[in-house]
Amino acid sequence: MATLNLQHIDKIYDNNVQAVFDFNLDVKDGELIVLVGPSGCGKSTTLRMVAGLEDISNGKLLLDGKDITATPAKDRDMAMVFQSYALYGHMTIYENMAFSLTLRKENPNVIHKKVLAAAEILGLTSQLNKKPAQLSGGQRQRVAMGRSIVRNPKVFLFDEPLSNLDAKLRGATRREILLLHKRLQATMLYITHDQTEALTLADRIVCMSMGHVQQVGTPLELYDSPANVFVASFIGLPPMNFYDVRVSGGKLVGEGFQVSLTDEEKHTLRAYNNKEITLGVRPENIVEGADVPVTVSSNENLGMNTLVHGHVGASKSIKISAKLKGWRDYKVGDTTSFTFNRKHFFDKETTNAIRGGEG
Amino acid sequence: MTAEDRTIQRDRMRFIKNSLSSNLAILGILFDVFYFVSIYKSDVDTYYYNYIIGVSIVYNLVFMLAVFLSSEGVKNYKKNYSYLLAVIGVVQIARIFIIPMQAHGTTTIVNGESVVVMQDGQFMRVVVYLAVSAACLVASAVVNFIRCGELEAHLKTLAGQGA
Repeated sequence: MATLNLQHIDKIYDNNVQAVFDFNLDVKDGELIVLVGPSGCGKSTTLRMVAGLEDISNGKLLLDGKDITATPAKDRDMAMVFQSYALYGHMTIYENMAFSLTLRKENPNVIHKKVLAAAEILGLTSQLNKKPAQLSGGQRQRVAMGRSIVRNPKVFLFDEPLSNLDAKLRGATRREILLLHKRLQATMLYITHDQTEALTLADRIVCMSMGHVQQVGTPLELYDSPANVFVASFIGLPPMNFYDVRVSGGKLVGEGFQVSLTDEEKHTLRAYNNKEITLGVRPENIVEGADVPVTVSSNENLGMNTLVHGHVGASKSIKISAKLKGWRDYKVGDTTSFTFNRKHFFDKETTNAIRGGEG
Repeated sequence: MTAEDRTIQRDRMRFIKNSLSSNLAILGILFDVFYFVSIYKSDVDTYYYNYIIGVSIVYNLVFMLAVFLSSEGVKNYKKNYSYLLAVIGVVQIARIFIIPMQAHGTTTIVNGESVVVMQDGQFMRVVVYLAVSAACLVASAVVNFIRCGELEAHLKTLAGQGA
């Protein structure tokens, strides 16, 4: 397989719109990198630049240390799986999977072996004589993957491959992709706007917004130590709660509530005494307690957990979402109190995370 | 070619259509078209206006339908279409002895002048068209017959292996 290095890559279109700003990433051999971000953040543009379908305006792209910035797409030895499958409707599954190799005029017997091997991996052996229209969405996406596998490319590129599938099929196909990665040990670049896909699939996640890389790290790093408010709000479901608070002695004072800080948190915020910061709390880090008075506006029982939405104190504008363990039966208008177990702190001006070593 | 290559080649038939037989059959139709266009466009006065040409027209229509359907059949390794194609191929040879042989060198009176209905050149052309058409159809039938046999034997082997 291969390593991939993206060095200071920019994408500027002819109308001077810049879609990607100074993108840097080193993809290790056999690594599965997921580019995640909202629509229009530049992730697909980045993938298309890697594939060679878009020109790179500035910067370098290295594959196994070799500069391929100007190499045409067909010579890059990368295979791309599209959201729309891009299968030929008039060809059988076998012919679809063999197509790229047939174009390269490979020996038909070699093609046959590769197609059967890929079909075996993907569980498509019994479907090889069918046409794409006879398959389900998940099976079609597997065919699209099979078409990539037979080429044995250095890098696999996935452009939102699960977006056309329903929720159940998406989960199953996601697991298949994960198994495929483990089996092939291939270098993969995967695009999605679905954070669940990102968290479950990735060795490392690249979180993007407005063409800028916001954070690169393992799923746990992005979830546990988000670099800024954007990453914190994007990763995690339900999303993180944010509050404007003032650091006052050993406490955080917000509108309608105040919470105590632990010694470690005090140390982290030592440079922010009497300053405004943004406090972030994940719904799953909220428990019933005595710090934050809440008026309940909805109660959603999910079986193992209950999602409680409400607003803080008398304010209608400061909302709070808590994911409480077990079954709860709050009624709309009920009042209760919550405590924050784990807190994230962000500089109000830069929106960057405030870390313990800073200040 | 190694034994393994031969086995893979046979196994490919499970997924690859028999394009060679199918294309040969289509080629057979094409040369038949050349034949009847050559005959029909060369009518000399009313020489061809008899029941034989009517039968010929109907036969050409049936021929094209039957061979086209057979081409689809052999594409999917259907053995019975081999027999049909072989029979139609033999009939193509027989057709040389009907209209072309009768018309070749025959004269008819047009505007008081004696005119040869089918010159040597045209006769040779239509004979070649029919002969090539027949060869294509027979070849299509033979190729399909052999491949069907190989595929059947291969499938039996796979079934024996529990594949």
